[in-house]
Amino acid sequence: MTQFVLAGVLGVLFALGTFLVLRRDVVRVVWGVTIISQSANVYLVTMGGLSGSVPILGGHGGGHGAGVTDPLVQALVLTAIVIGFGTTAFALVLTYRVYEEHGTIDLLELGEKA
Amino acid sequence: MSGQFVIAPLLVALVTAIATLLTRRFARTQMTLSLLGGAGYVGAVAWLVSKVDPLGATNVFSYQLSGWQAPFGITLVADSLSAFMLAFSSVVALAALVFSAAYVDTFGQRVSYHPLYHFMLVGVTGSFLTGDIFNLFVWFEVMLMSSYVLVVFYSGPEHTRAALQYVVLNLVGSAVMLLAIGGLYSTTGTLNMADLSRRVANPAAYGLADGGVAPVLGLSALLFAVFALKAGLAPFQFWVPAAYRAAPAPVSAMLAGVVKKVGVYAIIRVYFTVFGAAALGDLSLPGLSVPDGGSALLAFYGPILFLMAAASIVVGGLGAVGRDDIDGLLAYSSIGQVGFIVLPLAIAATATDESIRVLGVSAALVYALNHGFAKSLLFMASGAVYDAVGTEQFPDLGGLSESAPWLSGGFFVGALALIGIPPLSGFFGKMLVFDAAGQARSTIALAVALFGAILTIAYFSRAWNRGFWGEPSLLVQHGETKLTLVAVVVAMALAIAVLGVGFDVVMQAAQAGAEAALDRQEYVDTVLGGGSGAENGTAGGGGGGHS
Repeated sequence: MTQFVLAGVLGVLFALGTFLVLRRDVVRVVWGVTIISQSANVYLVTMGGLSGSVPILGGHGGGHGAGVTDPLVQALVLTAIVIGFGTTAFALVLTYRVYEEHGTIDLLELGEKA
Repeated sequence: MSGQFVIAPLLVALVTAIATLLTRRFARTQMTLSLLGGAGYVGAVAWLVSKVDPLGATNVFSYQLSGWQAPFGITLVADSLSAFMLAFSSVVALAALVFSAAYVDTFGQRVSYHPLYHFMLVGVTGSFLTGDIFNLFVWFEVMLMSSYVLVVFYSGPEHTRAALQYVVLNLVGSAVMLLAIGGLYSTTGTLNMADLSRRVANPAAYGLADGGVAPVLGLSALLFAVFALKAGLAPFQFWVPAAYRAAPAPVSAMLAGVVKKVGVYAIIRVYFTVFGAAALGDLSLPGLSVPDGGSALLAFYGPILFLMAAASIVVGGLGAVGRDDIDGLLAYSSIGQVGFIVLPLAIAATATDESIRVLGVSAALVYALNHGFAKSLLFMASGAVYDAVGTEQFPDLGGLSESAPWLSGGFFVGALALIGIPPLSGFFGKMLVFDAAGQARSTIALAVALFGAILTIAYFSRAWNRGFWGEPSLLVQHGETKLTLVAVVVAMALAIAVLGVGFDVVMQAAQAGAEAALDRQEYVDTVLGGGSGAENGTAGGGGGGHS
């Protein structure tokens, strides 16, 4: 059940992100990129499989085999989240600079100046 | 074989980046440290190359971080292919660094230029050395983060606009790369390139899902789009001209000469070494022709690579012919030249004959080296012109060959190298591309290459006529060239000539690189320690995704 819910949520998130990336407003574009990269992170978590309940084994032995969710994907997601924060912060600052330089955050107007 | 030296270039670049960050209050110390670090980087790469010894037997060295044996730990791998890429990148990087010390204004250097430059170098080095597909993503990000800031460095109107496009595109690219990597991990249960290569070559033995390699094909295609974006291949080329024009000249030199090659390297490494052995089974796709019934995953990419290469050559060439400024012309030209690098790769991907395969990949490597040197020279020459004259619009230029003969000479050599005049390195690069196309009996590849070569001659003679010949314009007469800038350009021109004259060594190294890229067994054995003792450990990712 969780799988289906997550798959649905991921689909909606990606659709929303794509929709926002295609907007004219630069801030929305940055929002869109952020949502896309966050949904990529959620997707990455699901890639380890959702069969288990805990990320690590509390102790050795004792038939816990099926109760383990792959911990590696969570390490990967942590890395990806950190990188995502950095790039989002940069993109936001860049948006501010674009506004300062051009006096607009409308991509259509920016394009006309080129 | 293991070797600590594999990590040396990475450490040198990282330490330099941090040192220049800490010494930003003392401009002179910072610049000295930065230049020393650049020289030390070349030294570290030379050490690595001498250990890998691309002219001798095929050697692969791996370094397991913290002693965690692959495929569980993070692995750095140095073989002839990475050594080849690193060798020419380090020389280009040092030249561009010396150039920027004289070119970029003092304030800019003090604030951020040197640390960013070296962090970009860290990312490039890591991408060349990593043996782990998720780490490839991380190194890409390290490289891109610094390049974002370097593109917006001047932070004027057109720079912020170019950087915005560049950043958004690459962020979406990163998300797509993450999707592909997550999917690959879920279907194959590993992230280590050597382990991945072993598993897709023999899917049944490692418990891959019933479809065999079919999901891997789709995910690798996603990944391919990202690499093509980094390499600036058509149809993902549209960010290139704006970004290259916005960045400071030495940074454009690095972006075109080195960072682009990271995308090319990733294509060679991932599709020839990792996925090269995968068979598609009885998967049939409409319009997909696979030679000799051997439906290899690599052969699937042949036509795609060819179409992209052909489109890049045409789009880049035609775009360059119509430009009115040097940087724009060089940026479009660099799209076309990457097409020339990928064209022999397409031939190598479809070829069934092993010798044509090696020839194709070595042609791509030689062309990558030639483009790395020549294009970075041209961007630096354009920067020196801008520094002296204050413009790079052709209508305002003219007669530079009279007022700045050495600089013009350097530009001329770079242009000739890209056109392919013997004895410069470019001649051999082009000859090998034609040779590979001829040996594979691909008339259409020959035609595309010929068309591209003619376009190259057209736009460079146009640039030469309008910018360098004729009567010096008023601006040019009053221009004053800086000695250091011209010296770097001339040194690069000499390097291109030397590489052409001593081409034997380059060819041997490129061949060794091509063989290393195609010799999966050696790579897999070295990274995984020869044995196959670690097979069951990653089952969690392998099976879990399908339940």
